[in-house]
This record gives sequence, C-alpha cells and structure tokens, in this order.
Amino acid sequence: MTAKQVRKAPIYVALVLLALVSVVPFIWMLATSFKHSSDIYTKVPNLLPVDKQTGEWAATLENYEHVLGIGGLGTAFLNSVWVCAILVPAKLLIDALAAYAFARIPFPGRDKLFVLFLTGMMVPTITLLVPRVHITQVLGMYDTGWGLILPNVASVLDIFLLRQFFMSLPGELEEAARIDGAGRMQIFWRIVLPLSKPVLAVVTITSFIFHWNDLVWPLVVTNDPELNTLPLALQQLASTESGRAYYIMAGAALSVIPVIIILLIFQRRIMQGIAFTGLKT
Amino acid sequence: MASPVLADRPAVTPRPGRRRRPGVGRSDHLIGWLLITPALIYFVVFLLYPAVAALYYSFTDWNLRAPANWVGLANYTELLFNDVQFPHFWKSVQVTLQYTLIAVPLTLISALAQALLLNAIRRGSNLFRLLLFLPVVTAEAAVGAIWRWLYDPQYGLINAILGLFGIPKQNWLNTPELVIPALAFIAAWQCGISMIIYLAGLKGIPESIREAAIIDGAGPVQRFWKVIVPMLRPTTFYLIVTGTIAALQVFGLVYVIFSGGGGRSVTGGPEQSGLAYVLHIYLYAFRYDAMGAACAMSFLLLVLIMIVTALQFKFLKQEAS
Repeated sequence: MTAKQVRKAPIYVALVLLALVSVVPFIWMLATSFKHSSDIYTKVPNLLPVDKQTGEWAATLENYEHVLGIGGLGTAFLNSVWVCAILVPAKLLIDALAAYAFARIPFPGRDKLFVLFLTGMMVPTITLLVPRVHITQVLGMYDTGWGLILPNVASVLDIFLLRQFFMSLPGELEEAARIDGAGRMQIFWRIVLPLSKPVLAVVTITSFIFHWNDLVWPLVVTNDPELNTLPLALQQLASTESGRAYYIMAGAALSVIPVIIILLIFQRRIMQGIAFTGLKT
Repeated sequence: MASPVLADRPAVTPRPGRRRRPGVGRSDHLIGWLLITPALIYFVVFLLYPAVAALYYSFTDWNLRAPANWVGLANYTELLFNDVQFPHFWKSVQVTLQYTLIAVPLTLISALAQALLLNAIRRGSNLFRLLLFLPVVTAEAAVGAIWRWLYDPQYGLINAILGLFGIPKQNWLNTPELVIPALAFIAAWQCGISMIIYLAGLKGIPESIREAAIIDGAGPVQRFWKVIVPMLRPTTFYLIVTGTIAALQVFGLVYVIFSGGGGRSVTGGPEQSGLAYVLHIYLYAFRYDAMGAACAMSFLLLVLIMIVTALQFKFLKQEAS
C-alpha cells in the first residue's frame, strides 16, 4: 500500500460504516418481506430470509401476494401509476408554457404576476390544506381521480426553475428563428424545449418522486379505499396489520423499489438538480 | 383581473437593435397571457384563494355541522389560553420545538460529516453518494413503516445492535422521553439533501485557500475550524433556515409511525409525546371537523415560520458585518 492509500483508509472505513447505516434498513426491509411469517421473530435478527430453525435459505413471495391482493396494494400501485402518468406530464407542460412566457414573452403585468407567484410559494402547504380540500369538494372533485390530479397540476417552484433555465438560453437562436418567420409556439417546441432537456429531466424526475411518495394530499382528498395511492395504502397496512411486519415490509418494498430504480438510472441528473434546487419537500 | 383584453394596450417599446414586424407586440401579449392561463387558473384556485380563505376561516367557527360564523380572534385566544378546549395545543408546540432543536443540528452534523468524507476521496465517491442518498427518495410512508419495525422493542434491529454494546432493550416509540430522539434520528438518517448541498459548498472552496492554510502549517483540525467552517457559513445558514422550516412542519412520518388500530386512525404517541404541530392541525381539521380552529393553528405556524426566517436572516446579517 502506498502512503496515500494508508492515509485514506480511515476515510473509507468511516464511509462504509455510514453507508451501512443508510442501507441496512432497506436490506432489513427486503429480508423481512421475503421471510415466512414463522421466521420473523428471532432472538438474533437475520438480514437474510432464512429458516429460523435450520438456518437454510427460505425465501417466499407469499407476503407480496397477500399485500398486492387482499392488502389492496395492487390497486393502490396501479392508482399511483396512473396518477403519476397523467399528473407529471400535464404539470410539466403547464409549468413549461408559463415559464416560457415569463422568461421570453413580454406582456403587460408579467413581472408583477411573477412576483405574486413567488410570494404564493412561501405559504406552507399545511396552511392551504383545509381550503384546498374545501374547494376540491365545491368543484365536485373530492374523492375522485381528478381530485388527486388537478389540485397538483402546476408548481410555482418548477415554473421558477424552468424560467431561470429558459432565460439562460442564448437569445440569438430564437431571434434568428423569428426572422425566418417562426412563431412563438414553433420556437418553443422546436428550439427551446430541445435545448432544455437537462432541466426538463430534473423537473420530471423530482416531480415523479414527489408525487409517487406523496402521502398528505391523497390522505385528505380521498376517502374511498379504491382510490388509495401507494403511500396511503401502505399507511393503512401499517395501521391495520401492525403486528405483521412481513406484510408491511413487502408493502414498503413495493413503494421504495420503483423510486430506487429511477435513482439508479438518473442519479447524476438528480444530484445535480438538488445541488441547485434543494428538492421540494 | 388578468385577461387577454390587455393585448389591446400599446405594445412595449421595442428593444434596440431588434427587428420588429407589424403586429408582433400585440400577438405577443395574447400569446403570453394564453401560455400563462393554465398556470394562472391553478394559482388562483389552488393557491391564492386557499391562502386568503385560510386566513378568513381562522376568524370563524367553521365546522362540519354549521356554516362559518365570524368569531373574531376567538380561535386564536382559545388556542393559546383555553386548555380545556384545546388540551394538547401547547404540548404540540413543545413537541415540535424539541424535535426541531434536535433534528436540525443532528441532520446538519451528519450531512457535513458525510460531505467532508466524500469530498476527501475520488474512487467510489459516486457509489457512496448514491448509497447515502437512498433514504431521501424513500416515501415518508415507507420510512415510517421501516423504522417502526427497526425500533420494534422485541425483534427490532436497533435494539439488537445496541445489545451488542450491552445497552438494554428500549421501547423507543412507546416511551415518551425516547420518542423525539427516535424521530430526530430518522431525520438525520435522511440527511442526503443537506449532504449534497454541503458537498457543492465544499467544492466551491477554492483550492488556493486550502493550500495557503497548509503552507501556513494548519493541521486538519485547524483547517476545519478556521477555513472550512467559515467558508461554509452561507451554506449552513441556508440549511438551518430550510431545515427548521421543514422540521416545524413534520407530519407524514409521525402520522405513519403513530397510526394504529386500523384505517386512518392516528394518535399523538405515548402521552402525546409525538404530537407534532401539523399532526395536531390535521386532527382538528380532518378528524374533529374544527376547520376554523385548524386554520387559526396553521396561521400561527405561518407566523412562526416567518419569525424564524426573519431572525435567522438578521443573525446572518450581523454575522456578515
């Protein structure tokens, strides 16, 4: 070993320990979710799905079958999929259109309106929650799919981020296109959007993660278990089956795994995005 | 009210050097408003109106049984002074402040330690960063579910690990004194966002400053306190402000941890020791149907958040001068 490697060794040891703290809960979740119910309650915890008596490998999919069927997480998983599939693109489109106008199209009152938007962003969600649910009721969307989607279909933070990015694009390209007779919308679709792929990706990914994970809004705007999204169904599973960790961990795994896959694929984008936006919470 | 009619007003003065064709300005106004319309409708219906309505309702006795009657400041005074009607209001304030005071520093220390370590290595730094980041993208509901099981008094992993060091088993989520530290530890476990932001801050410290400190004979400890900590001060302040604002609003995690008995029922934990402020609001708004009082509570939170922000920025200014 070189002197440098020796010097770095304690750093790696510390990082391995911290990484274990971070990851072991997930391993424990997965192990529990694949265990037979009889193998859960052991004196010394097992980080692998093994038989309590013999110590042999004994993984099962029973818990997943149970929570996806009777546990209602199958329906909830599909609900979360379609809510995100409609909500995320719709939100991106609405935010991008508004951001483009705020960034590039001069019209009277634009900047004042933008400041008003930003002020609105400061109000904590909880303050808005009660009247937001009320207006969702008034509009007849309470306890419906629309109620899960429409009250989330734009984001001032995303408009702000997209606007910043659009403003940083070189104006010459757009000017040239205008001289060639292109209209505003053509420029938006053909020039601005293709140039903005990095920021569009960041906004799409963070917005997917946010809505896939969101517990609070589905909790207050639905009542019908058929409309449960995955986090809500998981909360109810944890509440109803509180003694049966194997079911709950299977449910947690169903919620976590899709997001981890997204994180693995897009990690660079996500980290860069957070470094300058600080992910919405 | 904003409408495309505004397009009839004279166009703005053209920027110098810009070729204009007739009608461009006018159609710009129209297109501008059109593009903003969907977002504007959303903003008015689901942001502006709810904000104004919440303030209005906080002065009413609105509940499910009766329409809203104006009651002036009654909600606020009852909340603050009537411990028969709102027996747990001050408890929820205390719980939330305690949680914030523990969770925010713990998260920041943990994030800074991780960032410093990551910044010191090249090989494998992407992998470690990814692993340390996993808890952040995990749904609150899943985090709550996983940690309930980790903290399980009989079979949980936490007690098993502490047992290796001879620490007796604790009933973490059922012992009033342990609830807040247990929750704060989960918050620190999810410190990945602060870690990334600290990492960006560390990368922003010019190499020349570090080298100068080394040449001047500063050891690693001195470099940490005399160079890194002062250089990271803006980052730390940003993270304290955003972290405090987030911690004051902790809800989903607590909701899942203390839900039980089936369906959506939830408690405030043993002796209300986990009754986060927002959980208290939720209970009044959506379980006890006292929406007026809930709106008043949410406005008190808004004011508290504004005060915290103002205080911290004032402190930041003093530090700077």
